[in-house]
Amino acid sequence: MLDTAPAVRAARGRPGRRSSGPARPRRHRPWPYLLIAPTLVVIALLMFWPMIQIAIMSFQKVGNRQLAGAPAESVGTENYRTVLSDELFWQSLRSTVLFAVVAVTLTLVLGTLVGLLLNRLGRRMAALVSAGVMVAWATPPITAAIIFTWLFGTTGGVVNWFLDLLPDALVGGGWLDHNWFATPLRTYTVLTVCVVWQSFPFVAVSVLAGLKSLPGELLEAARVDGASAWRAFWTITFPILRPIFLVLLVLSIIWDFKVFTQLFIMSGMANRDAFNLLLYSYSEAFGGMNAKLGLGSAIAAILTLLLLAVTAVYVRIMVRQGETS
Amino acid sequence: MKFFKFAATAAAVALAVTACGGDGGEDTAGEAPAKLNVWMMGEGTPEQTAFLDGVEAEFRKKHPNTDVVIKYVPWPQVATTFQKAVAGGEGPDVTEIGNTDVQSHISQGNLADITDEVKGWSEAATLNKTALANDQSGGKTYAVPWYGGVRGVWYRTDWFTELGITPPKTWAELVAAAKKIQDEKGVPGIGAPSDQTNAILSFIWGNGGEVAVKEGDKWAGRLDQPQAKEAIDFYAGLVTTEKVAPEKYIGKNELQGPQQDFALGKLGMYIDGSWALKEMKKVSDKDADKWGVFPIPAKNGGNAPVMAGGSDLAVWENSKAKDVAFDYITVLNNKANAAKWADYSGFSSMFTDVKFTDPKLAPFTAIAANTKMAPLSAGWGDFEQTKKVIPNAVKAIMQGGSSAEELKKANEQADELLNP
Repeated sequence: MLDTAPAVRAARGRPGRRSSGPARPRRHRPWPYLLIAPTLVVIALLMFWPMIQIAIMSFQKVGNRQLAGAPAESVGTENYRTVLSDELFWQSLRSTVLFAVVAVTLTLVLGTLVGLLLNRLGRRMAALVSAGVMVAWATPPITAAIIFTWLFGTTGGVVNWFLDLLPDALVGGGWLDHNWFATPLRTYTVLTVCVVWQSFPFVAVSVLAGLKSLPGELLEAARVDGASAWRAFWTITFPILRPIFLVLLVLSIIWDFKVFTQLFIMSGMANRDAFNLLLYSYSEAFGGMNAKLGLGSAIAAILTLLLLAVTAVYVRIMVRQGETS
Repeated sequence: MKFFKFAATAAAVALAVTACGGDGGEDTAGEAPAKLNVWMMGEGTPEQTAFLDGVEAEFRKKHPNTDVVIKYVPWPQVATTFQKAVAGGEGPDVTEIGNTDVQSHISQGNLADITDEVKGWSEAATLNKTALANDQSGGKTYAVPWYGGVRGVWYRTDWFTELGITPPKTWAELVAAAKKIQDEKGVPGIGAPSDQTNAILSFIWGNGGEVAVKEGDKWAGRLDQPQAKEAIDFYAGLVTTEKVAPEKYIGKNELQGPQQDFALGKLGMYIDGSWALKEMKKVSDKDADKWGVFPIPAKNGGNAPVMAGGSDLAVWENSKAKDVAFDYITVLNNKANAAKWADYSGFSSMFTDVKFTDPKLAPFTAIAANTKMAPLSAGWGDFEQTKKVIPNAVKAIMQGGSSAEELKKANEQADELLNP
């Protein structure tokens, strides 16, 4: 994933176009396809087939009776109409999008800054810092969510304890009993911190990888010409690393749209006002004794379409870039 | 386990032989399966396992060749586990079921009709009638009540004595008591979490209100009526206007804070059931001898009706050994075992003639004299769990929303969800 080059190369390597990279002999042999076949089969079985089923189910009524083997009843577009006319859907969509905008921005900015820092640091310090940030990246979402629920807990939470220690003039009083999961805004604040904390290391390391490939002379020349670090970044580093940033942007959008575990553990099913699309879908499908898998599927399908749209924009940009360079 | 299988086979052979000898009366034993799958809800403690081992030993006296296999299903996974059981056919023979889910299960056709078996079970005569009604639909019985839980207000007897408070009998006294504790002891007076439908129901009922009533064959919501509105305004007002309950339990249930805080002496009162005693002792038993319980008061005095939460026992429709499964129920819930279970678990038995032996839990027996059921609708599961209708309205009101508006919305949802 770190390596964006294959995507770029694939875009560039369309028939009839010259690759600007180091020329490689292109021979069509069956080996690559044979090697990739098992992966494709597994992906088809584990990803595409369930996705097709979800698409079908979103037009059906699927409850426990249907799970037990009763034939599913087709309801046309009723599930979609129910979802789209549900106030909670629009509220969840808004939460999902707003959260993604904030979290993606913070992830990219923080990740880039740390990437630049890592590039500047000496070898040992860089190893130490990157090892440190990678721990956050490696932490499973459930673990992270539990840690953050504890940190921001109302009974014995470290954050409340610390904020309470600070002078009241600075942060106000009454922190000891502060409920971080009472309102959507507060819940999403904690969620944002948690998700950004977990996802910025990937951005940092990817940016670092890109920086390592930057021709040093360019930056050196800029420095000699007296360009500020800010200017050098925007005129040299950023344009060269643009494909990397694009990939990181799209990946971050996809990940942050799909945040589920952390929110599920932090605020749970009771706080419907803080639902995002996935939690809403889960709640409809599995939230109670009366399963409504059709309705859940419809919500999931809408989310999938949204993300496909994001990916399509990305692929388009990539292909265009391939054409112009 | 291997030994059991061997023993079971040996016993089966022996039985088959004796059966040939003409002892035809015991043919239920002859059909007994090698394995009886029993699902219990919750985490399963060593004590519970020991209790169930005892039940199994007793059960095997009647069915020596049947191995009872217990599976514990944690409460948060109950819905998905049953969905899988339905979808995959790998269901139990006997299962415990949360009593608010029974109607959903019945409407989905998951449970076996045990009307005749219950009629033929002599001990069933003293089963709580309200609870049994919850297990019936269309004149047929699909489950039997096992244990029940009612909620009361846990309080600190030492603080009440010290501050000269007597257990509140009205809403006004409840607020006054909470205020006094808050002022004198420096801890929040009472916990009022928004995700506690069962407790909130007591306030609505204690004011003569209803969630919904049956009109003809349809449920009609009553949450927008003045009695319900006043009750919910009062409950939410504990946080907003009276400020005797902390904001920190908004969006949470009684287990996500109040229980622990009370056990640690950081909360004056909170509403929970008899089973909380065991859990709170796990948190801290330093003050356990100072904990007491009084009934949730109605607005103008008297005990508010309480929701009888709890569990029922049912035979799964797909079970291959329905008779044997029902036999297991009659052993698990015979009166001797029911008394043992009540004392161990802290839940009241659903036999009207089986009582707790621990005096601390005695108030719950009195509280349980005034129970009420939630609307007997297959949609209650949706209303309570999936859509969290009441918790959502209460939460919104606690955060400053207009109660008239929120309850109007909630009532529309009741009309819709309770008539699936």
